[in-house]
Amino acid sequence: MSVQDVTARIVGAEEDRTPAAPERGSRRPRPARRLRALEPLLWLGPALVLILAVVVWPVVEMVRTSLMDISSTGLTRGFAGGANYTELFAEPDLPGVVLRTLIWVVGVVTVTITVSLGLAQLLNARFPGRRLVRWALIVPWAASVLMTALTWRWMLNNFYGVVNRVLMDVGILDKPVNWLADPVQSFAWMMAVAVFVSLPFTAFVILSGLGTIPAEVYEAARLDGAGPVRTYLGVTLPLLRPSLLVAAIINVINVFNSFPVIWAMTRGGPGFSTDTTTTYMYKLAFDNQDVGESAAMAVVNFALILLVVLVYLRVVRHREETG
Amino acid sequence: MSAVTAETAPTAEPAAEISAKGAATAARRRRPPRLRTVLLTAVGWLVALTFLAPYLQMLLTALKPTQELMKSPPSYLPSRWEWSNFADVWSLKDPPVSDALWFSLYVAGMSTLLALAVGLPAAYYTARNRFRGRGAFLLLVLVTQMFAPTALLVGIYREMVSLDLTDTAEGLILVNAAFNLPFCIWILNAYFASIPKELEEAAYMDGAGRLGALARVTLPLALPGVVTALVYTFIGAWNEYVVALTITSSGDRTTLTKAIPGFVTAYQEQWQYLFATSLIAIVPVVVLFVFVERYLISGLTAGGIK
Amino acid sequence: MILASFKQNKSLGCSEGRYPVKRHLVGSAAGVALALVLTGCGKGGSSGGADADGKTIRFVAAKYDDDTQPYWENLIKDFEAENPGYQVELEVVDWEQIDSKVKTYTQTGQQPDVLNYNKFSDFARDDLIHRAKDVVSPKVLDDFLPIFADQAQYEGVQYGLPFISSARLFFYNKDIFDKAGISEPPSSWAEVEDAAEKVKKAGDIPLGLPLGAEEAQAEFSIWAMNNGGGWTDKSGQWAVDQRANVETLDFLQKLTKAGLTQPNPEATNRKDVFNQFAQGKIGMINGAVFMRKGFIDTVDKKLNYGVAPLPSKDGTTHNTLGVQDYLVAFKKDEDKNREAVNKFLDFFYQKKNASKFLSTEGFLSVTKSAGDALSADSAYYKPFVDALSGARFAPTGNPNWATVEGAVKQRIGTAVSSAEPEEVLSEIQKTAEKDG
Repeated sequence: MSVQDVTARIVGAEEDRTPAAPERGSRRPRPARRLRALEPLLWLGPALVLILAVVVWPVVEMVRTSLMDISSTGLTRGFAGGANYTELFAEPDLPGVVLRTLIWVVGVVTVTITVSLGLAQLLNARFPGRRLVRWALIVPWAASVLMTALTWRWMLNNFYGVVNRVLMDVGILDKPVNWLADPVQSFAWMMAVAVFVSLPFTAFVILSGLGTIPAEVYEAARLDGAGPVRTYLGVTLPLLRPSLLVAAIINVINVFNSFPVIWAMTRGGPGFSTDTTTTYMYKLAFDNQDVGESAAMAVVNFALILLVVLVYLRVVRHREETG
Repeated sequence: MSAVTAETAPTAEPAAEISAKGAATAARRRRPPRLRTVLLTAVGWLVALTFLAPYLQMLLTALKPTQELMKSPPSYLPSRWEWSNFADVWSLKDPPVSDALWFSLYVAGMSTLLALAVGLPAAYYTARNRFRGRGAFLLLVLVTQMFAPTALLVGIYREMVSLDLTDTAEGLILVNAAFNLPFCIWILNAYFASIPKELEEAAYMDGAGRLGALARVTLPLALPGVVTALVYTFIGAWNEYVVALTITSSGDRTTLTKAIPGFVTAYQEQWQYLFATSLIAIVPVVVLFVFVERYLISGLTAGGIK
Repeated sequence: MILASFKQNKSLGCSEGRYPVKRHLVGSAAGVALALVLTGCGKGGSSGGADADGKTIRFVAAKYDDDTQPYWENLIKDFEAENPGYQVELEVVDWEQIDSKVKTYTQTGQQPDVLNYNKFSDFARDDLIHRAKDVVSPKVLDDFLPIFADQAQYEGVQYGLPFISSARLFFYNKDIFDKAGISEPPSSWAEVEDAAEKVKKAGDIPLGLPLGAEEAQAEFSIWAMNNGGGWTDKSGQWAVDQRANVETLDFLQKLTKAGLTQPNPEATNRKDVFNQFAQGKIGMINGAVFMRKGFIDTVDKKLNYGVAPLPSKDGTTHNTLGVQDYLVAFKKDEDKNREAVNKFLDFFYQKKNASKFLSTEGFLSVTKSAGDALSADSAYYKPFVDALSGARFAPTGNPNWATVEGAVKQRIGTAVSSAEPEEVLSEIQKTAEKDG
């Protein structure tokens, strides 16, 4: 069978297809429609309860808070309507924060996915010590992001950080650079750290995806005379699409909501010059003492994520349909 | 050697045309050329080193005596190896790291079990069936992933109060399971969907029940997905910080993550203990991973499926 | 049976989420209903563990360092032994997280009975806490030093219970000064600049200036108050953008741009500056009374440093920054815990207990009795205690202070680097005047 057939089979496994097995419908009478309609509830029920109860309820609370006037102590003073939102949109620092957030997300996610593709290939190939390399890769994921961010902040310090020491010993610098004091430099470093902590997870998702590609596919490609690059682009990547989708969306979401990296390394400073929407939201609550406005920012943040993800899904689906 | 080569000669030519370049190749070769292996190994080890570098630095710092910690310019190696930093933090600090470790293990382990127990059926059913509300369910799952607990702290706390679960491990377990559940469902759904139904049909034909087919055929093939979901949830619960901070209050219900930042406050700086504790926190996760890593890759490539 | 339905289902459906959402609504409604039932069952369970008979109270303490928790645990043990039947549930929270926890508690109605915190007036404004005289005995109330009790007032009534205090003085490294040929610590700003130039020539960092977000408001106010500036004007109105403050920032900006401070003051936190001073790398800093315990002794007990009054613009009067932390008692629905709270607070403020905390942690006393007990270790503490008579405090009695402090922490660093002092200060003034 040709490569296309196999690919189509695997990618299209979701679609409605006639089963190969003979009809067994005569074994029992059909259960009532009502009962059958409740069947999903049986399988999905616990999940639904957990999600609705533990996630959706606080979300409702958060939206409610964004519509309230909350005093600096946390006490609710009354209904505020859209006042928190208008105040939020009037903040002069907001446009910069939003722009930076978009740069943050797009930059980190694209680099992460690109590098992860290569990493997954590496981890999939056979060479001595592959096991150990895989284990090494889990460490940044196993360590909490806060810890890794603090370590990097430690290493980048201009007094006692080892990065400056190394760069000076090697001769690239002649005096220590205060990396985290300059908005642009620190932002670049923070993006690098965010990529660093996202790579293990993404690489492993893609690696598991690679694992589901059957050997026959590569055989078929080889028989068709495809070279390594063409095999990769024409066979592997399309088959990785489900994994890539998962990886991309999860990364977009996590990076959007990422708090510890920026907070631990620069606290969004100096001023607001390295804030993203998530750290800004925190500042609104605990520096500005305005819990209501902070909740409004949280709602806006969620709307942004939703928008980005939906756009991404639309683009992917469009490409699937036309490709 | 030459006999082998001769036997495989007919297929050798097309294979030889394919470039022997390193990591970009995806296919499995019959016998990798030596250069490729060497290159791969070198790159592999370099990659491993890059990822381990900050943590090695953490280790070296954790072993430094207090006076030397923030020396400027910094020394590479400790002048004196203070293994006592680890011992101190393990049992002498308040709360002792040993206690926090067990508590974290309990919370993370149970959260993972709960998330998988609830997510597996949901993902399987969604992957295999069209039902009304399927799209909406998947959308709900996707959308709830977008909420980070940081924004929802007050609501979560209020909820724990009404359920009388404040300052309990069970409360943390519920929250961690719920916030990682969307990811589990999402990825399990993707895996189940990618397994051809024919395989299960074949099992039905052979007399296995629906659950039997699930257990004997589908699950093993979806194992990479299950393991990914397991590791993701465990790590998510293990490293979770803000909710643990908010929900727990007494000293004996401290997770490891809560214990860590307390070493550096406005009035004291004990970076060596902070780093020592962080390193201790990494170990259980790596151990877990070492055990499950092989399952990550098994799958249809096991061959002999047909 | 299931198999049959399974197949039926498959042939049923090319329709997915496009289908009318009724089914989905039913499903989610069921889920929500279930959740509500669950919550209804659990509601009214515990009010945070406090007992029905009013003898168990919740106490949230802030973590100063490793000695804080053991201190409180021992104190509580003693308290419970002396007062059988009474129990105190302790929770120790880092300063970094305590804001978030307190707000969460307040928002959900789960306030503790006693809280160790650095603010009180917005609680007072919202009528959330008891007045001081309602929760401590008259003896304790009288024992508070007036300078601290006055600061603990909101609209003329004392709400906060002074807990600990600290003062700042000018720390200088005697070895560095010798090397640079400086004999006396500077007492005017001109002398500061002069000394800084000399130290720079000798190759060390002259002035440590931490204007990073950690404690920028403290650092700024130390300089500003010694130029006649401050947060408010004489009538108590916010005057963050007053002339004297602008001059202060101009001066600090001048020093920064001339390289007379450590690199990037706007991004350096107090911790790092204290540590570098303890390593003998910095010539002069505004140091605090707790520096010795937390920062100097841990690095170099033999550091050769001296302590002098904070330099002022003209070198005549020298003010210090007084900082105090408070204990507050929250009002609860029924007043049944008040007696227990009273007992506990009186117990803490006993001379032996209060002074033990101070000597353990390295702070200054807020009560007369504890102060007397401390004068034994006088050599180091005396200058700080003396300086307190000229102490100026942050306007914690103004409920808007928390917001202003937040704005200062975020913004003021930029005034010595990328922005102009006048703009930065007027931004902060705007925040202060906004109704918080």
